[in-house]
Amino acid sequence: MSLVNYATREITCKIVYYGPGRSGKTTNLHYIYGQVPDDRKGKMVSLATQTDRTLFFDFLPLDLGNISGFTTKFQLYTVPGQVYYQTTRKLVLQGADGVVFVADSQARQLDENIESMQDLHANLAEHGIDARTVPLVIQYNKQDLPRELILSVDELDDALNFRGVPAFPADALHGPGVFETLRSVSELVLKRLSAGATAGAR
Amino acid sequence: MTFAVVENWVEPPLRRFVDDARVLIALVLHPSGQVLAQSGFTRAVDVMSACALAAAIHASAGELGKMLEGRAFGGLHHAGRERQIFLAPVLTPRSTFLVLAVFDRESSLGLVQLYFNELSSGIAAAAPLPVEQAPVLANDFERELNRNLAALFGRA
Repeated sequence: MSLVNYATREITCKIVYYGPGRSGKTTNLHYIYGQVPDDRKGKMVSLATQTDRTLFFDFLPLDLGNISGFTTKFQLYTVPGQVYYQTTRKLVLQGADGVVFVADSQARQLDENIESMQDLHANLAEHGIDARTVPLVIQYNKQDLPRELILSVDELDDALNFRGVPAFPADALHGPGVFETLRSVSELVLKRLSAGATAGAR
Repeated sequence: MTFAVVENWVEPPLRRFVDDARVLIALVLHPSGQVLAQSGFTRAVDVMSACALAAAIHASAGELGKMLEGRAFGGLHHAGRERQIFLAPVLTPRSTFLVLAVFDRESSLGLVQLYFNELSSGIAAAAPLPVEQAPVLANDFERELNRNLAALFGRA
């Protein structure tokens, strides 16, 4: 649910990074946090366990600056990937304007990726969101691992990307693909807003 | 007192609440974590963090309430050493909203609860029904988006 204030010309959008456990959702946010100047970001909030596994969510507010005369702010969230945090994922997904699905490219994680994608669709449906129309981008993370351990982008597309949404190979730990993913989902979210869908006007 | 609103109709009841209940910080937000109005913060990014956490507290406390009592808790109060927080939902025909108030010894939980009830009525009365969104951005917004993101990531 994007918020648009015509009086102060501000837009605020919520983007959720979704995916199986240890696929690199938090790593994406950490990389973005490390790249963005202090005056354009808020404090990164991580509700994590003592071993740094996401317990509730990570949160990073970003100020994208002026776009079409609107001060545009994005709120980036991650969900906990572990299977038993289903309720938490559903709560964090509430009001999402766009979703980044972070898949783990390792061949042995394929089932977890598929299960998490199904979980995403189920949770979107519970919020009354049509999974076929929500702005969605897929990131195939860990493409830096040895070739014999990972699936190719084509193989991952076959398994996960049946909607043909934008998909990006990435190495979130070192940065490749992180920027492209964020740019793509931002564009989809703002395009949808520009077309006049679902937002609350003031 | 810093005051900022995203939704103008929230301002009058929230201003009254801040003055009457003598709270240091007040936020009105959507349960998804989107802010509608705030008083007391100076940085927008801090507001967003506070909203994300308030929405999370409300969501998790609600689920806990359902587990324990079969229904979500009506509100939440936490007393710190210097400051206290009060978080509660406001039901309106349009949507449920959340109010987060932070106060110190200049106020009290009773006072905040008393004026929260007035704030709830004020918000419920003022909340407009959702309206269809008109197109917002210019057709060529991608150019500005790409430029701004590149600048954020030091690629400009």
